[in-house]
Amino acid sequence: MDLPGYYEYCCGVKIIAGHDALERIPGILQDLHARRPMIVTDKGVAGAGLVDIVLGAVKDQLTIGAVADDVPPDSDLRVVNRLAALYREQDCDALIAVGGGSVMDTAKGINIVVSERADDLMKFSGAGALKRPLKPLVAVPTTAGTGSEVTLVAVVKDHERHLKMAFVSYFLLPDVSILDSRMTLSLPAAITAATGMDALTHAVEAYYGLSKNPLSDATALAAIRLISRNLVKVTRNPSDCEARLAMANAATLAGMAFSNSMVGMVHTLGHATGSVCGVPHGVCMAILLPYGLEYNRHKREAVMGELLFPMGGSDVFAGTTKEQRTDRVIAYVRQMNQDLHDASGGRHARFFKEVLDREGKPAVPRERLPDIARTALGDGSIFYNPEELDYDDFLMVLEAAWEGVALDPGRIRK
Amino acid sequence: MSKPQRAYAFYSPTKVLSGNKALENLPVELDGMNAVKPLILTTPGLSARGMEKVMASAFGDSNLTIGVFAGVPPQPDLRLIRELYGLYRDNGYDAIIALGGGPVLDTAKGLNIAVSGRPEDLDSLASGNPLTKKLRPLAAILTLDLSGCEMTRYASLGPLSLTSPALIPDLMIIDPRTVPEEERKTVAATALMSMTQAVEACLHPARNPLTDAYAYGAARFIMENILNVLRNHSDRKGRLALANAAFLAQTSFDNLAPGMVYELGIAISRSCHTKPGLIMGLLLPHFLLLEMRKETTARKDLYLFVGGPEAFAGTMAEAISRKAVDRIVEILLELQSLVTDFPRSIRDLGIKKEDLEGLVAQGSVAGVRGEYDPRDIRNILEKAWETRF
Amino acid sequence: MNNFREITPGNKPLKRAYVALMLWFVGRAIEAAARVDGAVKAEFGGLPPEFTFSLGVMPQGPTMIVGKDAQGLVRYRGWNPEGQKIDLKMKIKNLEGAILMFTFQESTAVATARNRLIVDGEVPAACAIVRVLDIVEVYLLPKLIAKLAVKRYPDWPFGEKILNRIRIYAGAVLGL
Repeated sequence: MDLPGYYEYCCGVKIIAGHDALERIPGILQDLHARRPMIVTDKGVAGAGLVDIVLGAVKDQLTIGAVADDVPPDSDLRVVNRLAALYREQDCDALIAVGGGSVMDTAKGINIVVSERADDLMKFSGAGALKRPLKPLVAVPTTAGTGSEVTLVAVVKDHERHLKMAFVSYFLLPDVSILDSRMTLSLPAAITAATGMDALTHAVEAYYGLSKNPLSDATALAAIRLISRNLVKVTRNPSDCEARLAMANAATLAGMAFSNSMVGMVHTLGHATGSVCGVPHGVCMAILLPYGLEYNRHKREAVMGELLFPMGGSDVFAGTTKEQRTDRVIAYVRQMNQDLHDASGGRHARFFKEVLDREGKPAVPRERLPDIARTALGDGSIFYNPEELDYDDFLMVLEAAWEGVALDPGRIRK
Repeated sequence: MSKPQRAYAFYSPTKVLSGNKALENLPVELDGMNAVKPLILTTPGLSARGMEKVMASAFGDSNLTIGVFAGVPPQPDLRLIRELYGLYRDNGYDAIIALGGGPVLDTAKGLNIAVSGRPEDLDSLASGNPLTKKLRPLAAILTLDLSGCEMTRYASLGPLSLTSPALIPDLMIIDPRTVPEEERKTVAATALMSMTQAVEACLHPARNPLTDAYAYGAARFIMENILNVLRNHSDRKGRLALANAAFLAQTSFDNLAPGMVYELGIAISRSCHTKPGLIMGLLLPHFLLLEMRKETTARKDLYLFVGGPEAFAGTMAEAISRKAVDRIVEILLELQSLVTDFPRSIRDLGIKKEDLEGLVAQGSVAGVRGEYDPRDIRNILEKAWETRF
Repeated sequence: MNNFREITPGNKPLKRAYVALMLWFVGRAIEAAARVDGAVKAEFGGLPPEFTFSLGVMPQGPTMIVGKDAQGLVRYRGWNPEGQKIDLKMKIKNLEGAILMFTFQESTAVATARNRLIVDGEVPAACAIVRVLDIVEVYLLPKLIAKLAVKRYPDWPFGEKILNRIRIYAGAVLGL
């Protein structure tokens, strides 16, 4: 176990996980002195019947103040303000977020507004703006996942001023995160695959990044082991409850790993691709992960080799020499993408060239790669990446990821 | 890893700062908790070893005033809490920093209850009424002389036993300057206590992926560092690793009910004044021989924790459980050779054969109720009494 | 109660002086580098008009402030943040953290990864400034030390590097 010269770690979220975790919500709210929560969710989640399941598990013991199900796919400042007003109108005193990343971010944004009685969310952007605990927030993730149920970041977009506001504070962490297998049972194959690879990327980048620490290592290894054994399985058999629960646990473990260890170039490029071409986060992560390993390899060879144990298991690990381990890790990740591609009927993309938008058109035109590379220069996650990347490096990686070919080791500048 | 049968809960609210110049972050961290005037509690021993100077230096250039009480005794009581309550209130402190081990943390936790509400709240908690108020900030700076409960929800003050998640310190600092060299016996006892907590967490019926992750980290740090720390005074990094291991093990332990070896170790230590960790070390192999006969996945995982991925991957499936026990016995034997008057049997501690029956009752209380068969407990105690390493 | 005492720990004048000196030097070196180095010029060019940032130690200094003037030239703006409109504040949490950075025991990247710094302002701007700091450190420090301070030591033509180094030192020390 590596011990860095210095590290910090904090994850104060209480985790409750199981096939019957939802039923614990009334007791939790009582412990938090709350009686009238507002549920924040989106139409997709509500349409899948998940909100009904949550209500079914709690209705006898809890008064729901309001249910807001119109959170858009991208967190929006206007929605945050509108829902904060609804919270106040309905006299609510807690928030329950049922959904994926955008719902979580929106709920965190609402929490800032109602707790600080703010009129301008902007005032609280950046780090260090929040000084005291917010209202109780219970997170019920419906993907496995973004890990945002355990992160101290919220991103809210101001579409009018074309700004993305980032909020960073320990006070944004939910009080409790409920991992219940019922919440991901109906997740479609392509989303299962993308969000699962998102979790894998969090864990892997946390493990090789510059903020690597024992706590993020321990949680990352556990996450990787669970994902390696369950992601492809559950993409093929969506109703496997045990596998769903295992993936929910894995996503939270991965979230705990990266929320303190921060991430790296896979996220830098992924955020930029999402920003410029609208590609969903998990899809970008899956495609870029092998490149994060290849590009940083010369600085993190030994550490990456250790990942073969949770990914491949005892026999593979024992049967591979130290020098070959990183190669096998990279191969495993690519194989996983291939298996997920097959298991999802071709919907899970293996490289950028094959990513399609909602109308079935290519989402990442080759001409836009320079834009993406330029955008990547402004992303803070690059600080945590082991190796430097400038515009040319970003472009090189993007081109390889577009084509779906391995990076040419000779072109990596050291 | 494990697939829980019913929903599990895991909670670890502490912010961890570990390593070079960690202490200097105290002003900023306290500010984040809206505190500007901490009261530092420590022991006369630690003060004599220069800890006060270290703390003063850490707060240098911060424009803050700090209070230092360096009189925490080995067995703090309510009288001390009342005294410190007055001190805290009269001088306007708004946070507590506990620098040391068990006694200092117990004092700090008790004091924090008193100053966040009233001293009567201590009795209220001890009688089973949960704490309703949010407590004031509490930071812990750990040394290697630990009782096993510093970072947990437990505290004991004289006859009072206090249990509440609110007692878990908000902040923990592990800094090379405050993890000085200790007597080998102390280090061994702390490491064995942590090891017991980690092992029992791995084998616990209510284990979950999070307690496993923490217990794994603890076991790896201990196995990779304990021997070198005992052999080399200058292994600072190793000492930090053991302090980290203690935190990881305690967190795992805090999220599960205490195990049998832990309870027996504590019970026996009350009557023979030997550090509980050493006693747990003596009981552990006998406990493991019993556990390894059960058909559980936990059995296999233990060698992963204790041996590490390379050793685990390179061992045949049939040999895995045996290897876990062997490895622990190996370490114990090494410790015995490195530590003077390391007990070799619980008989050496003055325990008489007649006392064992009473201890069986103590052991039965442990873990999930009814989990441990009294016959097994008796068996373990008898073996530990008869065998000498 | 003889086990109790109250302490108001003093300052650390020597360490403060060292950090203050380093910040002054780096601030003026950035101004000089913006004149002679294309990459630094480009980074500042990409930032908004009259963009100003500060790098300092909590709780109250020492600090250095650098900003673009009305003509777009990069100027060192001294050590006192009072009265200045600062768009990006990079704060080192404590003096010891600053010592670690300015004795190159921890590079800017490692210091950030270890949370020694708080960034108050837009992240893309912070990324640009860190890149500027890296470039300036390569100019100011001998290769052996600069390699500790930056992630990847750049491959610049030797002659140009030396020439610019001289110009930057002259600019920083002598104000030329």
